[in-house]
Amino acid sequence: MEFSRKVHEGSITTQIVESVLKEANCRNAKKVVEVRLAIGSLTFLNPEQVKFWYEMLTKETILEGSELVIEENEGTVVCMKCGYKGGFKYVDDSALHVPMPTLQCPKCDSQVQIASGKDCIVKRIKMLV
Amino acid sequence: MKADEGEVFDVELEENILKANQELADENKELLRKNGVMTIDIMGSIGAGKTSLIEKLVKLLKLRYHIAAFKGDLTTTIDADMIKRHGVEVVAINTGKECHLDANLVRKALERLNLPEIDLLFIENVGNLICPAEFPLGSEKRIVVVSVTEGPYMVVKHPFIFMDADVIVINKVDLASAMKVDPEKLKADVGKINSRAKVVFANCRSGEGVGSVAEALGL
Repeated sequence: MEFSRKVHEGSITTQIVESVLKEANCRNAKKVVEVRLAIGSLTFLNPEQVKFWYEMLTKETILEGSELVIEENEGTVVCMKCGYKGGFKYVDDSALHVPMPTLQCPKCDSQVQIASGKDCIVKRIKMLV
Repeated sequence: MKADEGEVFDVELEENILKANQELADENKELLRKNGVMTIDIMGSIGAGKTSLIEKLVKLLKLRYHIAAFKGDLTTTIDADMIKRHGVEVVAINTGKECHLDANLVRKALERLNLPEIDLLFIENVGNLICPAEFPLGSEKRIVVVSVTEGPYMVVKHPFIFMDADVIVINKVDLASAMKVDPEKLKADVGKINSRAKVVFANCRSGEGVGSVAEALGL
């Protein structure tokens, strides 16, 4: 769909709808009732915009009218130096208005690697067969 | 398990939508490493000076490395031609309407290069500080260019793109006083988000600071 390609939420929601449709068709579903999506905090996906695109893109498909439930997941990091595994260290600077995750280890301040939080996962689909 | 007619069936899928791009990016990285190509992804706003930076880096490094560049733009080959005139191979990637490059577009562009001949590849992303961060391309290092003409709040307003960049170029420092923007303040803002990144002040028109950018990249 032409208009779906203008922002990244559009292109990613297109992929979400396509993968749900594929699964639903495989199972001969008559209608999809609910889709559960998990979005990592490090993605650039705004749930409101994903919902907007979902509504647009599912029109005239068996997904039309289905509920899109989005859970947002905090990311996790791993420190190669001290072995820390867990949530991010946040900078709470008033200029940023929102706490901003950093790639510094909350325990020893060395550089950490991102273990999760960059995902966008279609978790479950409820469908009417 | 099979559901009966008219029943609501709950299917667990666990399909990672962003994985397809990540996997392609990993394949690109592997292919580039195997061919000994050091790849650098350059991101930044429209007009930040990404093309000027590449031009100056090419000028500085073309005798030491065999360089190629990918230039992502919605339309035209204007910028691609600007880089090409320095005598390096350039592939223009026109995305049409897409606001970012993705690993698949880069894969296709890689097919147009004779990789064993190339040592250094610059990939200039579409001018945008948001979407490109979502789509890794397979590069080894990432640069974000931010210019003082974008105002004093560019870093704090777009923190995520700076989060895992390797080198931050603060460009157009010659215009800092006219713009009433303090480059040191921008640098301090980067430091809060990403203390690991190397920050370089530059004027990519004159070439000032470009040597330090090359150094920061280990070139």
